Amino acid sequence: MDSWVISMMLGASLFLGAVALGAFLWAIKNGQFDDEEKFLNATKFDGEDELNDAVNQERKKEALKKDYRPE
Amino acid sequence: MSNKLACSHCHLEFDKTLMIEDDGHYFCCTGCQGVFHLLSDEGLESFYSKASNVKLTPPTNQYEDSSNFNSPAFYDKFVKINSDGFNEVSLIIEGIHCSACVWLNEKALHKMEGVIEANINFTNNKATIVWADDILKLSEIIDMIRAIGYNAFAYDSSTQELHANKQRKEYYLKMAVAIFASMNIMWIAVAQYAGYFSGITQDIKTILNVAEGILATPVLFYSGWVFFRGAYYGLKTKVVNMDLLVATGALSTYFYSIYITFKEQGEAYFDSVSMIITFVLIGKFLEVLSKKNAADTLDVLSKNIPNEVNVFKNNIVELCKLSDVHVGDIVVVSSGERVLLDGEIIKGDGSFDESSLTGESDPVYKTISDKVVSGTSSIDADIHFRATKDFEHSTLSSLVTLLESAINKKPKIQQMANRLSEHFSSAILMLSFLTFFIWWLLPHSFETSFMVGISVIIIACPCALALATPVATLVGLSLGVKNGILFKEAAQLETMAKADTIVLDKTGTLTIAKPEVISETIIDEFDKSILYSLVKSSNHPIASSIKKYIESNYKNINEINFDEYKQSPALGINAKYHNNIFIGGNLKLMHKHNIKIDFITENTIFYFAINGKVVAIYELVDKLKDKAKDIIDHLKIRGLDVIMLTGDNKHSASLVASELEISNFMYELSPEDKANYISSLHEKNKTVVMVGDGINDILALARADIGISMGNGNDITIDVGDVILLNNSLKSLEDALKISKTTFSLIKQNLFISLVYNAITIPLAMAGYVIPLVAAISMSVSSLLVVGNSLRIRYKWRH
Repeated sequence: MDSWVISMMLGASLFLGAVALGAFLWAIKNGQFDDEEKFLNATKFDGEDELNDAVNQERKKEALKKDYRPE
Repeated sequence: MSNKLACSHCHLEFDKTLMIEDDGHYFCCTGCQGVFHLLSDEGLESFYSKASNVKLTPPTNQYEDSSNFNSPAFYDKFVKINSDGFNEVSLIIEGIHCSACVWLNEKALHKMEGVIEANINFTNNKATIVWADDILKLSEIIDMIRAIGYNAFAYDSSTQELHANKQRKEYYLKMAVAIFASMNIMWIAVAQYAGYFSGITQDIKTILNVAEGILATPVLFYSGWVFFRGAYYGLKTKVVNMDLLVATGALSTYFYSIYITFKEQGEAYFDSVSMIITFVLIGKFLEVLSKKNAADTLDVLSKNIPNEVNVFKNNIVELCKLSDVHVGDIVVVSSGERVLLDGEIIKGDGSFDESSLTGESDPVYKTISDKVVSGTSSIDADIHFRATKDFEHSTLSSLVTLLESAINKKPKIQQMANRLSEHFSSAILMLSFLTFFIWWLLPHSFETSFMVGISVIIIACPCALALATPVATLVGLSLGVKNGILFKEAAQLETMAKADTIVLDKTGTLTIAKPEVISETIIDEFDKSILYSLVKSSNHPIASSIKKYIESNYKNINEINFDEYKQSPALGINAKYHNNIFIGGNLKLMHKHNIKIDFITENTIFYFAINGKVVAIYELVDKLKDKAKDIIDHLKIRGLDVIMLTGDNKHSASLVASELEISNFMYELSPEDKANYISSLHEKNKTVVMVGDGINDILALARADIGISMGNGNDITIDVGDVILLNNSLKSLEDALKISKTTFSLIKQNLFISLVYNAITIPLAMAGYVIPLVAAISMSVSSLLVVGNSLRIRYKWRH
């Protein structure tokens, strides 16, 4: 009985920890921590405009990709 | 308070009367005004609220034509095509002061049609820009960056940087996994230790062991993979290295612990496995980090401007790739430009600065049918010359080719720490085997003997040893960067500390490489404003140093607009104002105008004559750098042999040598002579530090044990140097030596601490007295001691 509780708690907490670790690894791979300073300053420039800008940029890329014909 | 006012764009403060008023805003210059309007037009004014009161550099308009960036040669070298078919370039943006600057650049570029991605790194000011080349050209992007008050130049990201970035990311990932798992293992281990002292049932112990085992697996096989790889390469070259010790220790402990877990008896050591890997990995990461930082600084130093020449073909001047210029082509060089090919002048004349190639400090005058040499630069000459060699065979290229062989001849001084860890690793492995066999023969059970044998490896875990060198060198490197000294590799600190001979170049290293006024003889009083105006428009080094002299020694200087003004290359300047004739220049010019001179020395002289009569004489020499004498004395006190080598003539060489009291000096040396001299010092078993700045020093720099180059030196010189003095001062040279000595003694202390610790604990482990808790605690304590000792010198270091 005791050992069942302990293994379940260990398992659950390690699983949650592993999920967080996974997210962190994904973020590193994604280049979100390449620049420490910018990462810390990002909170200052976060807002609706920035979000719109990012989306527009993404659309622009898609649009150009469609008609882009490398010679 | 007073009538000082901050400029609306750059926030620098100026007198109100000097500023441009514009609709309630005040600007210090038209550049700032232009940027301000551009930003409001583009809807980017919020930059100013984001930047608050950060002071910016006012924009200048003196950029060379950005169309150079569109040339095929430039595209070839710096522009890549990415997987989506878009173009990609890596730039370094100059003038970034704050995060708002990064925001502004990214925003402004994103607003451009055709720009897909603009990502600027705030820490190192590097930018990656992706764009569609059929919509806009690279020059337009550069123009935009310049228009908003910054500047950009390209750097080659392909080689070093990609590798460094990849490596850093890999280490980040590995460390994240290792630290996460180690921390979790630690809190499980707390339960284990508590159980060890107060009793624990075997089934709970097994559950804890299994959990620890699961956590330790990725640490060993994912994070610890670098050690297996290192050990493998070590074995291949028949070297027992630290990696092998870590790998065997961790691996055998790991399998032993798995065995214990299944046997459900005894103590498992999963915590030690992950701790060893994590600590040593951190040490390695610190090394990678310092390399990456050095690479970043180097990219900023070697500004890559498009390397092309103007070729005169079919009566038009066109840009041409260096490699496309053939023998016989006519190349155009304007004043201020660098000569990139060898040739013979066919049109024009003027002065050339050959100091970087020959060490000669005075400008050299050249005219039709004289030879120009690649690597020199034009001061005031506008010439056409016929190429006599193509780029591959030019002086510049052949020096670079010679360089490769010089680098191979560089002596390799084996680093003490590496050598020590090699011996240490083999000794520990032997001791561990020995312990195992003695215990087994005594007789004990296989398990007990195996465990004791393993415990020797664990307790001797080279954590402290592995951290001893990287932490100390990291402290040394960061001290260096704070003082304007860049060590390209950590190992150079140790080599430099062992140096006993220092070889210095004269021009540009000991001297400023610019003539400066040392004496002024006024024969007849005259208005200094006239002389000031006369020399102001010339960019000849002598004229500019006279201008500087007048600026700093006289007040109330006004500029005069002459009626006539003419510069004669390599002679001087003639001007006319209100029917008075002014002539300023050298002896030849005076003779040409039949002006009598009775004052002659070996130094450079500038004569100033009004209406045919000399009124002032200025004597100029290539002055020594600040505190040169003090630094040389200091080097001698430290017991270093100081030697001066120069390509310059005997007169200037002995002048400098006697002033600095350098008894050992050689003059009129070619680049090869210098390198050979270094080799002859090596034959006498000397460890040589070479300090230089010009192209003529590169071979010597490459061959010396440590090559130190000046930050304002030539690109190639910076590439070759092992240590770069970013602020070009000789004080940094002294600091560099001091830092390397301090760091080296720190490494020795750290190694001593970790060895003493091992000398105490290893016999205990061999006797079988070490319990897991003691092992874990002592491991951490020794590592902390080493780190603490290294951080100590940060506080101790005073100028």
